[in-house]
Amino acid sequence: MKPAKFTYHTPDSLEAAFQLLGEYGDEAKIIAGGQSLIPVMNLRLAQPEHLIDINAINGLSQIREEGDIITIGALSRHREIETSALLKERLPLLPEAAMRIGHLAIRNRGTIGGSLSNADPAAEWSLMAFLMDADIEITSARGTRMADITDFIQSVYTSDLSADEILTAVKFPPIAPGEGWAVCRISRRAGDFAIVSVATTICLDTSGAIENLRLCIGGMDVTPVRISHVEHAAVGQMPNEAWIKSAAEVASGIGSPESDMHASAEYRREMAAHLTAEALREALKRCGGGA
Amino acid sequence: MEHTKGKNDFTALGKRMPRTEDHRLLTGHGRYIDDIDVPGALHACFIRSPYAHASILSINSTEAEDMPGVIGIFTGKDLAEWTTSLRMAPSIEGVKPVEMTTLPIDKVRFHGDLVACIVATDRYIAEDALELVEVDYEPLDPVTNMFKAQDAGSALVDETLDTNLVSHQTFATPDVEKVMAGTDRMIETNFSEHRQTHLPIETRGIIAEWDAGREHLRIHVGTQAAHPYRTAIAGRMKLSESQVTVISPDVGGGFGQKIALYREELTVAALARHLKCAVRWREDRFENLLAASHAREDWVRTRAAVDENGKLKALSLEIVEDFGGYCFYPANYLARVIAMILSGPYKLDHYAFDVKVVLTNKCGNGPMRAPMAITSWIMEGTMDAIARDLNLDPVDVRRINMIREDEFPYQMASGETLEDINPFETMEKGLSIIGYEELRSAQAADRERGIYRGIGICNVVESTTYGSKFYKSAGIPGSGHESAWVKIEPSGAVRGAVGISATGQGYETAFAQAIAEGLGVDPLEVKIEIGNTDIAPYGMGSRGARGGTAGGGTAYLAGLEAQKKVLAIAAKMLALNTADQLCMKEGKVWRCIKDDWTETELTLADIARTAYLDPTKLPDGMEPGLEVHKAYDPPPMTYSNSSHFCQVSVNINTGEVTFDRYLIVENCGTVINPLIVEGQQHGATIMGISGTLFEHVVYDENGQNLTGSLADYLIPTAADVPELEIVHMHTPNKRTPAGIKGMAEGGVMGAIGAVSNAVSDALAPFGITIDKHPITPDALRALLRNKS
Ligand SMILES: Cc1cc2nc3c(=O)[nH]c(=O)nc-3n(C[C@H](O)[C@H](O)[C@H](O)COP(=O)(O)OP(=O)(O)OC[C@H]3O[C@@H](n4cnc5c(N)ncnc54)[C@H](O)[C@@H]3O)c2cc1C
Repeated sequence: MKPAKFTYHTPDSLEAAFQLLGEYGDEAKIIAGGQSLIPVMNLRLAQPEHLIDINAINGLSQIREEGDIITIGALSRHREIETSALLKERLPLLPEAAMRIGHLAIRNRGTIGGSLSNADPAAEWSLMAFLMDADIEITSARGTRMADITDFIQSVYTSDLSADEILTAVKFPPIAPGEGWAVCRISRRAGDFAIVSVATTICLDTSGAIENLRLCIGGMDVTPVRISHVEHAAVGQMPNEAWIKSAAEVASGIGSPESDMHASAEYRREMAAHLTAEALREALKRCGGGA
Repeated sequence: MEHTKGKNDFTALGKRMPRTEDHRLLTGHGRYIDDIDVPGALHACFIRSPYAHASILSINSTEAEDMPGVIGIFTGKDLAEWTTSLRMAPSIEGVKPVEMTTLPIDKVRFHGDLVACIVATDRYIAEDALELVEVDYEPLDPVTNMFKAQDAGSALVDETLDTNLVSHQTFATPDVEKVMAGTDRMIETNFSEHRQTHLPIETRGIIAEWDAGREHLRIHVGTQAAHPYRTAIAGRMKLSESQVTVISPDVGGGFGQKIALYREELTVAALARHLKCAVRWREDRFENLLAASHAREDWVRTRAAVDENGKLKALSLEIVEDFGGYCFYPANYLARVIAMILSGPYKLDHYAFDVKVVLTNKCGNGPMRAPMAITSWIMEGTMDAIARDLNLDPVDVRRINMIREDEFPYQMASGETLEDINPFETMEKGLSIIGYEELRSAQAADRERGIYRGIGICNVVESTTYGSKFYKSAGIPGSGHESAWVKIEPSGAVRGAVGISATGQGYETAFAQAIAEGLGVDPLEVKIEIGNTDIAPYGMGSRGARGGTAGGGTAYLAGLEAQKKVLAIAAKMLALNTADQLCMKEGKVWRCIKDDWTETELTLADIARTAYLDPTKLPDGMEPGLEVHKAYDPPPMTYSNSSHFCQVSVNINTGEVTFDRYLIVENCGTVINPLIVEGQQHGATIMGISGTLFEHVVYDENGQNLTGSLADYLIPTAADVPELEIVHMHTPNKRTPAGIKGMAEGGVMGAIGAVSNAVSDALAPFGITIDKHPITPDALRALLRNKS
């Protein structure tokens, strides 16, 4: 469990990082929090010859709101998101989701940019980004481009990043005042990756009918999945228990979950239904609705 | 000051003192293998098989050998020249003799099995070289199922045997068949326990140094049994035992994994001698999970013949155990004890067992904390099955079958004798504390509301200590004796040593208390030296909950003997004819005059000074100095007992099990240190819960181990386990020094049974009974799905 030999670089600006990336191309890997990369290097499943540490680059870890957009710098730690006053007020799902990532030591180092680049289908940030239609800011010597999350995260451990690019920020819309929300997950132990996770936001109109619904589920497919036909059909519906049950049933049929030693595909399907119902009930409570 | 010399008037024994070793361990001053710096030491790393079962056709290492920093790559053939193989051929009926070379030569027997050893100037280079070695394998049929392994056509794990059934033993009391045939109620129950591993925080590791001039081998290795380890390694390297020193420094846990001399360690030692250079090896977590030692994995069936009141008339037990690919222990070692102590706290006259142990292409099994742990689940699960079948309360079935106080000593059908235990009292005490009757009514009300809570009871009779006579009668080779010395230096400083080696149990504190009690000094004045074969006397190692009675008991006896000599000198110095009216207390000599104990002027230091520096003042014929050596062979077995009460809630939607309450009432006799005992009760119980709900070594059908990291081999965090309430009782053992019994494994036994029974009880409305571990949410959902 010793990594193969590598050269370690600590650029202190994006420009310096781009130069290194240009020079070493596929032989280089960016390291942010190291919480996913180092384990695979120790197992020699990854053997980059050059490690480019971006932690010394300033300006990549702010969390700020501009206009109606919340920008989270790629180097923001899970723990910073968990404790951010701005997010607790404007996008409370994120701190709630952050809290469930691994353990404190992991949250102190792991970054949102690293998590999204890594594209683990069970990661909290993938779920959040899919739920909120986050935009990904990607920078390279060629300039900055924006990508939809659905274009960026393509499959298991596969994200749309070229060898010369750095994920620099993630942009989320805040939730509306009065909008209900919930993040639910099930894992074997506290601190494990989720087996299945569900996140939702719900806006009700003055009559108590659903005005807007976001519903996203992780652990059922190679990426998190938005249950868009439930979202669309929900508009104008009264959110009663029957509706919740039907949404849960749809959720259980989503994707093509695989069996592994911690959960069978059947179990995932059952949990998809269970967590969807839980999340919807919890979100409705938050928006003062109620089933 | 009043002082009586009454037998149970202990001052050091039973003292709730913090562990003296903790200061160094908690401030980062412990010395584990990796803290020991040996300049110039080379690093070993092992090439391991990616296949479960394969012939080794060739090993091409030329490219790797040419790498700068690589010293050499060594194979099974090399090691066979320098070491002998391990022959496991105890003269036990039904156990087949087997033999293994130091490193495999022709074929590998499990995923992770050894193929060759690389030695380099550091571990990084060694692992770089590993990638360049080409091994040509021819895969063979993997044997991964212990039932199919017994089929006539099955591939053989060990070709020197004609079957994979490596051990088969049976036993029956004379009338068991007749009684079984004559009862109309026969209740059959199954239990499947899955494969687990010990998972010490510190993995295996060794530093071997060969002194070419003195021809002496010095080994630092984390081991539970330093002396037997020395005997083994000297024998296999064809050295005299006087040529080997084994030092077991601070050890980060063993749990049974650090008893055997492993092939990696022997290879490293042999290479140190061959290369005339220190060689070290630290096992990484992947290796530890794949290839150190595994434990458990057995299938069990009981058939209980009962009358209409649930009274047990006869019982038969079948065990099939998957022992893995190699026998580091006699194959009957683990399962046999289960069979011998099965009936535990229950009366049973007619009993039969059939115990089969099978080789498969998996990592070899060894004893893990409470190797017999499944016993309690089997017996208590059988009690619950009887209750279910006859529609009786499970507590009533236990009451009607339990051995009562006036029936001890009780000879079990297997021949073992139980004494000085009180299972009926621990059970009744626990029942009244948890309010059993009220819990049952609350449970019924909860079920109406769709809440599924269960109560699990597990009464444990824990076999501890294992004296030589037990080994003999169980047909297991080995001795159960222990030895200790006490040396009082000229200044009065007290040093003590016990043969047993520690792996985190707090022996330094416990043994200091035992010697202090015997000698009559403050425990903090006694310095304990263990784990170094040049210093400590030959001992049999730490296993089988023998630290208390064998370790502590021997230490106490050595202390008493030292006190005898001290008092004989004191009597002479005080011009008395006899020492009868003298005793040692807190390092001073006390004297009894007309029933009144008073302190004299004499201190231990005065006496020590005389013994060493003024020997003409000693009693006639007494040899100078103050050194005592004591060896002691405890009774065949000392038994502790406990009752575990577990209340769980099962979320039937998610299959999650959460704990509402966990109570233990335990009687482990005279306690040396309550703080240490509680630590062991917590550790053992949590370990049992962990094994029941989380830990699982998973092999696929091809024999690939899928649990090579702690992301997949799950152990619970503090958030996943219950708080434990513990109530203590103390019935001393009449036959041991100070009444000490063993403990520290019973918690595992109790937890396995209590948790399983609680989950079964919670799911009783669905007709679900837990007969298989681990109890995972996925597994529970599958059971519930099939019932609805
Ligand atoms: C025990 C444990 C439990 C965990 N549990 C969870 C959990 O429950 N939920 C969860 O979501 N996660 C969990 N994680 C993963 C954790 O969140 C990681 O921190 C995260 O996945 C990776 O972030 P990082 O900053 O550490 O990335 P790194 O490990 O540094 O990098 C990961 C990958 O992303 C690339 N990369 C990193 N930053 C950038 C960037 N800015 N631009 C381009 N590429 C980049 C790297 O080259 C690498 O390929 C757990 C991890 C551990 C060790």
